Parts: sequence; C-alpha cells; structure tokens
Amino acid sequence: MDNQLIKLSDLTIGYKNKIIHRNINFNISENDFIGLVGPNGSGKTTFLRTLLGTLKPLSGTIEKNEVRFGYVPQRDTVQPLLPYTVFDIVMMGRYSLKGLFGRLSKEDEIIVEESLTKVGISSLRFMSYNSLSGGQRQRTLIARALAVKPNVLILDEPTNGMDTPSHHSLLNLIEGLHDKGRLTVLLVSHLLSDVANLVKKIILFEKDNFQIGNIDEILSEENLSKTYAAEIKISKIGSQFLITQKHPQN
Amino acid sequence: METINLLLELFPYALLGSVLAGVICSFLGVFVISQRAVFLGAALTQVSIAGVAFAFLHLINLEVMLGSLLSVEVIENSFLHHFEHTFFSLFFSMIAVFIFSQSFRQKLITQDSLLGIIFVIAIAIRIMFIQKSPVAEISEIEAILKGDILFIGVNEFYTMLVLLLIIVIIFSLFSRQLKFVTFDAETASAHGINSGFWLLFFYLTVGIGISVTTRFVGDVFTFAYLIIPSSVGFMTAKKVSHVFIIAVLIGAVIPPVAIFFAFIFDFSSGPAAVVSAFIVFIIVYFIKKIL
Repeated sequence: MDNQLIKLSDLTIGYKNKIIHRNINFNISENDFIGLVGPNGSGKTTFLRTLLGTLKPLSGTIEKNEVRFGYVPQRDTVQPLLPYTVFDIVMMGRYSLKGLFGRLSKEDEIIVEESLTKVGISSLRFMSYNSLSGGQRQRTLIARALAVKPNVLILDEPTNGMDTPSHHSLLNLIEGLHDKGRLTVLLVSHLLSDVANLVKKIILFEKDNFQIGNIDEILSEENLSKTYAAEIKISKIGSQFLITQKHPQN
Repeated sequence: METINLLLELFPYALLGSVLAGVICSFLGVFVISQRAVFLGAALTQVSIAGVAFAFLHLINLEVMLGSLLSVEVIENSFLHHFEHTFFSLFFSMIAVFIFSQSFRQKLITQDSLLGIIFVIAIAIRIMFIQKSPVAEISEIEAILKGDILFIGVNEFYTMLVLLLIIVIIFSLFSRQLKFVTFDAETASAHGINSGFWLLFFYLTVGIGISVTTRFVGDVFTFAYLIIPSSVGFMTAKKVSHVFIIAVLIGAVIPPVAIFFAFIFDFSSGPAAVVSAFIVFIIVYFIKKIL
C-alpha cells in the first residue's frame, strides 16, 4: 500500500438494523491531516468507532498497514473520581502494549516523560487530574495517546468547552504534532472554522451521504448550507477561513 | 478487658469475620463508587437475598442435580446442603450483574432505572418465594435470609477469607486493566483492551463479594460498608492507593469495635456497625468542610 496506512473499500457502517453510511471508499496516507465534520447524528462517531475497530463494519473491508492508533476521547467521557495523577493517566497509554501480565519498565516511564514534554505539561506530572483545568486535562489525554507511540492520532472534539486562549493553544499543539511529529491526524470537530484552518482534507458527513476531498473541493457555501440545513457564510481574513451561520434579518 | 475476653470466647469467628466482611465490602466499594454504580450495590444485596429465598423453595436440589450431571450418587452431602443457599444467592447475583453489564449497550433505559427495577423486583420475588416456602415461619426465614454478624462460624469465616484472597489477587493481577477501563472504557477499547469483557469480569467479582457477604452479615451491613468507608477514602485521599488503604482500614477496624459496644449496650451488632461507620463518616466530613 506504499505510503497508504488505511484503505477503506466498499465499507458500510452502522448498527445491527441501521445503516448509517455505505460505499465508503478512500485511503488514509502517511502524514494526512483530515478533518471530520458534519451535523450531530450524521455518523462521525460511528465512522470513528468502525475505524478504531470497536464497532464491526456491516460490510466491506478496512486494510491497515502497520497502524497504531492513539485516541483522544471527548473529555467528559472519562470518570475522574479516583485521584489519578497526570503521570498515572499518561502511563495508561502503555498498558495495551504490555499484554495480560507484562510489567511496566523504565522504558515505559521514559516514553511517558517524553509524551508529557511533547504536550508541555511535564511540570504537572504529579498533580491530580481532578485539579487540572480543561486545557490541561485535554493535554493529559493527548499525552496518553502519544504514549502509545502512534502513527495515527485521532482526536474527538478536543477543544470542546475551552476558553479562547486554551482553544488556540491546543490547536497549535495539534498542528505541531502533525508538522513536526509527522503524525497522521484525524480531527473531529463541530467548529468548521477550526477544521478549515488546520487540516488538508475534509470528510463532510451528511445524513445518508458523505463527501471527502481537499478543503477547496468541499468548502463551499452551497455545500455546507445543504449539509447543515442552514445558510452558511464563508469569509476569508488573510489566509484564515471564518465560517459562520447567516442570521436572518428581521 | 473482661468484656473483650468474653467476646473472644463466645464469638471469636464473629469478630474476625466482621473484619473480613468489612474489608471485602470497603475494598469493592472503591470500585463501585468510582464507577458511579452505588445503586448496583443496593440492588445486588436484594438480589442475593432473593437467591437465598429461592433456595428455601427446594425446587432444585443441588445434590441431586450435581449427582446426575456427574453420574455419581450423592447422598446427604452436608457441604452441598450447606452451600445450596450461597449457590443460589451467587447465581441470582450473577444474572443481575450480567443484565446490568449489557445495559451499557442500549439507550432505551437508563442504568439507574434498570437497577431500580432489579431492586424492587428482587424484593417482590423474595416475598413471594418466602410465602410459598414449605418450611418454618416467614419471620424465621426472613431472619436467616438477612444474615447476622454474630452467626458467623468457622465455615463462614474461611469462606470469606478465601473470597478476600481471590478478590485481592484478581484486582492486583489485573490492576492495569481495572484502572484503564474504569477511568476511560472508550479509549481502552480503542487501544485494544476489551472493555466490555473486563468490566463484566470486575462486576462479576463485585457481585460474588456482595452476594457472599450479604448472605453472612446481612444486606444493611454489606451495603453500608460498600459505600461509607470508600466515601471516606474518596473524601480524604490524594492518591489512588490511599483511597483503598483508608477504606479498608475503616472496614477492618470499625465492625469489631462496634460489636464490642453493641455487646456492652445490648444493641444488634449489624446496625451498630453501620451507625459506627456513619459516625466516622460524619466526623471526617465536617473536618474536611472546616479545613
């Protein structure tokens, strides 16, 4: 598959009695940066779960060429009741590589330290996850995904509920991981402007349909307005996209 | 000192057994609370009692059933006869845990509602089972169903000791899986750890622990020691290991002390142990509020 990491062929995704999308055919290559966008309930999560292997495809195949996923879930899906430290949580990224009874080694600790450094939270390593801000928590979860030593990083709504400085700082971090770390990144976000300014390709999920292509191919007011069933306006300020919903004048 | 000597002479296994029951419940309680599944504890204590009540119907004879399965003749086996109530208590609990574990896969009903239904149905069928039981008075059976710390004998003591060892071994051996799936089951699955299997496995272990302790020391003691010591641990500890240590220490120390005072002031030992744990909880709560 050359530099192809994942090849999706004639894929149908969904649940037992409900097909969400069919005829999915595309490849994910090394160093791709793909944004997954679409309205709520359009099948983004179903697609992610199928790609990660936690949901079986209804038909078709997913060929993976030595792929190791690092997954960053939405922050509110974790249960932070026990007072785990940042180090404890990032170390969880090493667990799946150790088998049933394998022991954690010094090398695992070094990898965890490296992951913490990459996301800029080394100084927080002994702090309780519960005491962190939203941005710090998100960085902890990204560090955990990096501790897997992945070649594909998947982030599900990483900037949800963050203040503006944390939001932009996190997007810069993700961009850096892609550019400098040569990571293939799949980013799910409902914030169209974020995705448009960051990624190279977009998968636009609609009910019963989806489109994949480069930014210029997918991002048109007509296309987005049809998908979101609302009037969408695309402006450009310098090189930055600004995507907003037009409000009807009363 | 005289009272302690008298207690040790009269109820040696009750004192030691109360420590074991307290430790088992408080240890498992940390898991239950961390999963926000407190109501599971309440439901399982009632399901467990319903299982014992079912045994009183004598619809299924374990000795005969095992004999026919293994093609051997089992005549009046006292171990099997003694084990029958515990077996059905465990069996009912396992079914309830399995149903609960499947609730993660559906969105038709919330987990709280499901546990509430299991809770009331368990109480209802227990009453129906007892009414149809061919033996003894209903009040007598109710007393047997609910267990009592002071009735802990040598068999109950060793059963709980083995159970505690098994629980500690399981939770230590698979601590990594436990940590990951309880903190973030979705990512654990994405990283190749079968969260569904491991959660079911840990919930079954919890179900066995709750079932056996309910059988021996009663539902009130079991539920209280699942919740109160671990809540104190969560309130006070800053490390995960400290949560377990604080919970287990409270679970180990308070019950025998409570039995001592219950003996002096002529109270029932189970409720005394529960109230004593609550007093510790209240003191810690207000200290934490003030500090």
